[in-house]
Amino acid sequence: MDTRRLLSLLGGIGAATVVVIIVLAVVLSGGGDDNGSGSDGDGPSIGDDLPDRESNELRLFGPDPLILDPACASDASSAEYIVEIFSGLVSFDLDLNLIPDIAETWETSDDGAVYTFHLRNNVLFHDSSRRVTADDFKFSIERALNPRMLSTVAEVYLDDIKGALTYARGQADEVEGIRVIDADTLEITLEKATPVFLFKLSYPVSYIVDEREVGDSTCFSDTRWTLNPNATGPFKLTEFALGERIELERNTNYYLEPAPSLDKVTYIITGGSSFTMYENDEVDITGVGLNDIERVRDPNEPLNAEFVTGEQLNVFYVGFNTEEPPFDDARVRRALNMALDKDLLANNILEGLATPAKGVLPPGLPGYNPALEGIPYDPQAARDLLDEAGGPDLLDDAIIIVPGSGATAGPVLDAMVALWQENLGVNIEIQQAEFGLFLRDIDEANFQMFSLGWIADYPDAQNFLEIKLHSRSANNETLYSNPEVDALLDQARTEFDEDARIELYQQAEEIIVNDAPWIPLYHGKTSALIKPYVDGYQVPAFVLPNLRYVTINK
Amino acid sequence: MQGIAGYVIRRLLLAPLILLFISVVTFSLGRWAPGDYVDIQAGPRASDELKDRIKEERGLNDPVYEQYFRYMANIFQGDLGQSVKYRGQDVEDVIFPRIWVTLQYNVIVLILTFSIGIPLGTWAALKRGTWMDPLSIGTFLFFASIPVVVSIPLLQWLFAVKLSWLPSGGWNVHEFWGIEIGIFSREAILPILILTLPGIAGIARYMRSQVLEVLDQDFIRTARAKGLHESAVVTRHVTRNAMLPVATIMGFELAALTAGSLFVERFLGIPGIGQFAFETIGSRDYDSLMAIVLLGSAIFIMTNLIVDIAYGFIDPRIRLAGGAGAETT
Repeated sequence: MDTRRLLSLLGGIGAATVVVIIVLAVVLSGGGDDNGSGSDGDGPSIGDDLPDRESNELRLFGPDPLILDPACASDASSAEYIVEIFSGLVSFDLDLNLIPDIAETWETSDDGAVYTFHLRNNVLFHDSSRRVTADDFKFSIERALNPRMLSTVAEVYLDDIKGALTYARGQADEVEGIRVIDADTLEITLEKATPVFLFKLSYPVSYIVDEREVGDSTCFSDTRWTLNPNATGPFKLTEFALGERIELERNTNYYLEPAPSLDKVTYIITGGSSFTMYENDEVDITGVGLNDIERVRDPNEPLNAEFVTGEQLNVFYVGFNTEEPPFDDARVRRALNMALDKDLLANNILEGLATPAKGVLPPGLPGYNPALEGIPYDPQAARDLLDEAGGPDLLDDAIIIVPGSGATAGPVLDAMVALWQENLGVNIEIQQAEFGLFLRDIDEANFQMFSLGWIADYPDAQNFLEIKLHSRSANNETLYSNPEVDALLDQARTEFDEDARIELYQQAEEIIVNDAPWIPLYHGKTSALIKPYVDGYQVPAFVLPNLRYVTINK
Repeated sequence: MQGIAGYVIRRLLLAPLILLFISVVTFSLGRWAPGDYVDIQAGPRASDELKDRIKEERGLNDPVYEQYFRYMANIFQGDLGQSVKYRGQDVEDVIFPRIWVTLQYNVIVLILTFSIGIPLGTWAALKRGTWMDPLSIGTFLFFASIPVVVSIPLLQWLFAVKLSWLPSGGWNVHEFWGIEIGIFSREAILPILILTLPGIAGIARYMRSQVLEVLDQDFIRTARAKGLHESAVVTRHVTRNAMLPVATIMGFELAALTAGSLFVERFLGIPGIGQFAFETIGSRDYDSLMAIVLLGSAIFIMTNLIVDIAYGFIDPRIRLAGGAGAETT
């Protein structure tokens, strides 16, 4: 080819590409021009760039879920979708009250070990093909527990049911404690009566799946059906483009009040900057990070009117390896605790996006003890206590491990290390470990100190104190063991009187705080911006179905 | 022509060996990284016995070479495995939509980069000695030296937040004959712009220096001496000779684009393969990672081969020499 022609051809291709793209972009997004022209440049109006925005559609920025099979999901990002799409016997409302879901009512036997659930008779699958019966629960719960499934959550949440663990280990053909009385009646027998059972039953693992579509799928294979599951929750999944977007539509057969009002919910799960997308009217709700918090708090900032914060049921803490010197000495642990100014961490470093922690239980959780004093910030007492235990030299080689791979471990960790340096004269080294490695080190007690958070699975003190700090709990990373605490927690686990239970948990918490296997640091809050036309959206304190309360008014 | 055919065949035969080598290295590196997906995904509440049983069932406790042979046996049966990042979804369902997204905007970027960069570089070279020379080279240098991690938030702020001309990110598709195409939406403009600007500058700068070098050659002086019109000298002799090395960097440009795509996709929230490739490492999504690396390597090898063959058409000397000249690349 002649070079002159080649050159002009190249230039032509370039120019043509630009022209074609621009023309098509203008033509294809042209539908939005009529409502875009009046907006005077303070952002393109909704409908400009995203296709088919319906008037009654909520657009959210969502996390990328791992797996939308309720029997398998162990992560909050998957659970957030599952609780909207699927449903089970019981659930929670926005005020954290346990409410009936598919089970309309239930009775318990005198010893509290047998639950008889009476199911609603008007619960249909999303495709309206069939109504839900007690057999669906038996199938779904047994499926989750089936050893073939390799579910990491089934044993954890269903272990109270009689025979569940025997079945999960492949030593029985069915779960002994689950009995179908008739289509509308399900009986569940427990190994031992516990008030926690119903809370655990609210977790997705016992939610209904459609026997006709799940086939041979397990938690690790052949999960294609989860891209378009037939379920029973307030919304149905209509489109799931992996890593791209999730679209839900209203379940018109939904059985609880209030029934969902939104016609459609679109989650954008590609990542990116949700705050910028919110400013650009591409999503209706966004979280607010540390970088933007100062701006939205400014009363002169228009976004300030759309700013809300809410409590979260979580706790961030430093854990000690209580079996390894010098951290086997409670005085050392207490000294490190006393040397940290938790008010400074929560209110200055985290800009008030957190509540300073005095104990383990977060505010908002039933059983939270506002009177708990905890271990107050006292640098002088901290120094004295450390000297008594052997002096700052004890902590010469101390290392705190944290998950992460950034340039720094974050402002909170940096501030903590600086406070320890300033108040105790000790140099504690931060080591970041990639998440997988971090978990393994924690699991194998291969650490001195670590920093981590814990988020409630259900709003109950047992979920914090027993799970994290009972000496026999698999999740007790610190290897903390106090027989007195164990006894209190065991007693609380079978106490049905709510006040007495809370009393027991508060006693246990107080002992734990003074023994200091943890330094409770703070309880994170959620902060969000919500567009003024979105009504009824409440930032949930933990994962629970909340979209059916939302309406759009514009 | 025979020479080229032989050369192509030799290169094609070598490709599977290279891919095999890459597969061994990638696979072992992946498995030797501490922790596996069961550790990462099981959550803090799963017991050690349970985690161990899952690893056993999933074959993670087998020796690495056994896992490798099992994986390769599946590959040869056309089974790419199942993802872990998207648990239990087929790898092809996970990666192909993403490759399609990345491919679309990168093809546009490549077309624009070369078709604007080459004429621009030639023009700049011909203006040597005027005030436009330092101006153009300065501009090229400026754009070529801005890292994408800087240009992304800058352009995002300018076009999305300040001017409200473009969406701040995301990916939007229109359907043509059942195929989802995303490059005709306003979401595509920002990523294309971000990757094209430094690309054009790089190519133009390179082209400029090549043209200048060719201009000093004897045969150009000869061409001028024999009375050829200046425009004919430039188009017929200068540009054609200068483009040869530029074709070489096509392959490198592709690699640079892949790297650029990673950042662009992460910052702008584009569901492409660059972002996903990064995520597969953290989530120990072994099968997806392998598929991406192997496919990527295959594409890279093929591109380089095509570039080498294209040499023959741009430079007649290589065709005559039976490809010997091209093997130096």
